[in-house]
Amino acid sequence: MLQAPELALQAHGLVKRFGDRRVVDGIDIAVPAGSIYGVLGPNGAGKTTTLRMLLGILEPDEGHRTLLGHARPREASDRVGYLPEERGLYPGMKAREAIAFMGALRGLDWRTGRKRAEAMLEEAGLGHAIDEKIRKLSKGMAQLVQLLGSVVHEPDFIVLDEPFSGLDPVNQNRLEALIHAQRDRGATILFSTHVMAHAERLCDRLTIIARGRARFEGTVADARGTLPYRAHYVPHHAHEGLAALLPADAVREGDGFRFVVPDEGIEPLLSRLLAAGHGISGLSIERPSLHDVFVRIVGPDALEETPA
Amino acid sequence: MSNTRRLIRQTLTIARRDFTATVFTPTFLLFLFAPFLFMGLSAAIGGMGAASIAERGERALRIVALTAPADRELLFAGDRNLRAMFRDRDAPPALELPATAANDERTARAQLDRRDAQVTAVLYGPLDRPTVLHAPIGTRSAAYLAQLADQGIRLRETGTRPKSTARLVEVKRARAAPLSSDEGGFFAVFALFFLTLLLAGQVVSSMAEERSNKVIEVLAAAVPLESVFLGKLIGMFGVALTFVAFWGTIAANVASVLPGNVGAALAGMAPALGLPTFVMLFVAYFTMAYLLLGAVFLGVGAQASTPREIQMLSLPITIFQVAMFGLASAAAANPGGWVATAAAVFPFSSPFAMAGRAASAPALWPHLLALAWQLGWVALTVAIGARAFRRGVLQSAGPKLKWFRRAAVDTPVS
Repeated sequence: MLQAPELALQAHGLVKRFGDRRVVDGIDIAVPAGSIYGVLGPNGAGKTTTLRMLLGILEPDEGHRTLLGHARPREASDRVGYLPEERGLYPGMKAREAIAFMGALRGLDWRTGRKRAEAMLEEAGLGHAIDEKIRKLSKGMAQLVQLLGSVVHEPDFIVLDEPFSGLDPVNQNRLEALIHAQRDRGATILFSTHVMAHAERLCDRLTIIARGRARFEGTVADARGTLPYRAHYVPHHAHEGLAALLPADAVREGDGFRFVVPDEGIEPLLSRLLAAGHGISGLSIERPSLHDVFVRIVGPDALEETPA
Repeated sequence: MSNTRRLIRQTLTIARRDFTATVFTPTFLLFLFAPFLFMGLSAAIGGMGAASIAERGERALRIVALTAPADRELLFAGDRNLRAMFRDRDAPPALELPATAANDERTARAQLDRRDAQVTAVLYGPLDRPTVLHAPIGTRSAAYLAQLADQGIRLRETGTRPKSTARLVEVKRARAAPLSSDEGGFFAVFALFFLTLLLAGQVVSSMAEERSNKVIEVLAAAVPLESVFLGKLIGMFGVALTFVAFWGTIAANVASVLPGNVGAALAGMAPALGLPTFVMLFVAYFTMAYLLLGAVFLGVGAQASTPREIQMLSLPITIFQVAMFGLASAAAANPGGWVATAAAVFPFSSPFAMAGRAASAPALWPHLLALAWQLGWVALTVAIGARAFRRGVLQSAGPKLKWFRRAAVDTPVS
C-alpha cells in the first residue's frame, strides 16, 4: 500500500477579504516535502495574497494552514526562505552584507552568512559584486542577490513569488538551476508564476488559481491530460471529399489541417484517409501545452479581466 | 530556540542593521558635528547682534543730569561708585553731565528729544529735590538718576573720599555650591528636551526607508513586526547614545580649555544630588524619555505612507514635545507647586520634570519611584506602539487604505 507523501505545507479553506472583495476564496493546497510546487494564475488571481497567508505574513479570515508541522507558520520562519514579488533591498548595503543580513534575520550567524554569501555570489557569476553596494548593481543582479539572500540559511521551505520576472534569459536559466539545486539539497520549493514555460519545466505539482479560487491541482501531466491530443495532418493528395473525412473541428492551417484527435484514436481516421487515396505527407500528434490548459481553465473572461 | 530568545535575536539583528546603517555613514558625521555648526552659527549671529546692539547703545543710549557746575564732580563720583555694582550688560546707559547753566524743564525735554543720542532719562533741578523726566523705556534709568542725586547729596555732605575701604577676597568653596533650584532644573530639562527632540524625532521617518525600498515585506516575512519595531527603537537609541557619549565626552573635557573664570564657575556648579548620581539619573531619564517618545513616534510614523504624510505627522509630534518641555520647565520654575507634581506624574513629561528635580532637590527616593513609574509606562507605550506599528505596516485593518492591502490589490501580478 502506498503511503501518502509527507507534506511540507498544507492549507484548507483559506479565505482573505479586503473590504467586500474576497481576494482569496477557499483555497486548498498540499505541498509534498521535497517537491517543486507551482502556483499559477493570471494577474490579480490572488497568488501573492495566498503566499502571504501561507507564510503567516497575513492572517487568513477563514481556514487554516500548517507549515513544516507548525500551525502558526511564523514559528517555522527560520526554516523558510522567501523572495517576495516586490523586490526590496537596502540600497546602501553591500551585496555580501545584504545576503548575510537576510540570513541573520532567519537565524544564521553573520560570519557564516558572509562566507556563504561570497561563495554563492562567486558561483552565480557575481564575484565582482561582492563588495558593491546594491544601488550600484543592475536590477537583474540585485534580484539575484536577493534570491541568494532568501536561500543563504539553507531553508527547508522556499517560497518564490514570481521569481523569473525581470530576469534575462541567462539569469532565468541560472535561477532554474538554483531551484533544482535547492530541491536536490532536500528543500521544498513553492513558487508562483504566470509564465507557463517555467512551470512546465520545473513543477512536480501545481495549482491553478483564478479569481481567488483553485481551479486545478495536480501534476503537469495531469493538467495536460485534461485536454485531448491535437493532430496536424498534411495530405499527399488533397482531392475533393477530404474535408468530409476529417473530424468536424478540423481547420485548415497552411497546407494541412489541425484537429483534436478523436476519442477512437488516430488510427481509424488514418485508415479512412489512406483508403480514399489522400495519403499522408505529414502528420504530427501533439500533447496540449500547459499554456493551453491554463487558458482553458482560467478562461478568456478571467484573462480579459487581468490588468495590463 | 525559545520564542523569547528568537525574538531577542531578531530584534538585535534589526537594531544592528539600523545602527550600522546610520552610524557608519558620512551623513552621521554631519549629524554628529551639527551642534558645532549650530553653536558656531549661533555664536556668530549672537556676536554680531550683541556687537550691533552694543555699538548702537554706545552711540545712542544716554542718561543726562542737568546740574549746577559745582555738583558735577559729585555726580561723576557717585556714578563711578554705583556703576561698579553692575555687570556691563546690566549697567545703566552712560551718564552725560552737559556743561550748561540751564537747569529747567524745557532744557530737560530738549535733551529727551535729541536726535544724536537716545536719551532715556533726564534729571534737572536741585539735587535734594530733583525732577527726572524719562521715556517709557527709561523707568530704571530714571530710578538710577534719582539714586544718583541722593548719592550726590551724601557725597556733598561727607566728601567724595570713601569712608570705608573694603578688602575683597575671592575664596574657593570646599564643596561645590548647588545650583539654584530654577536655573539648575531648567538647565537639566532643556538639555533632556534638546536631546530627545534631536534624537527621538528621528524614528518618525525611520520606516520611510523600508517603505520606499520595499524591504518591509522581507522583514515582515522573516521576523515579527514587534521585533522590527523594537529593533528600530533600540537601533536608533544606540545612535542616540553614541551622540550623547560623544558630546558628553566633549562637555566633560571642555571645562579645561575654557577661560579660567568660566571653567571655574562651571566646575563650581553642582546638581543637588551630586554630579555622579545626577549623571546616572540623567542617563536613566534620557532612556525613559527616548523610549517613551520614540515608541509613540515610531508607532505614529508607521501610519504614514509617504514623506509628505510623515511631514504632516511631525508637526503635532513636535507640538506635543514642546508642550511636554513647557510643562517640565514650569515644574522646574516652581518645584513645590501642583504643576511640578503634575509634570512628574504625567508619563510623557515625567522624565523631563524629574531630571529638573535631580538638579535642584537632594532627595533620591522620588527618582526611584519615578523611574519605576516611567518604566511601567515605557512597557505600556512600547506594547501599544508596537501594535500601532503592526497595524500601520501590515495595513490589514481599519478604514484607511493600507500598505499590504494596497500591494495585494494594486500589484499587477499576484
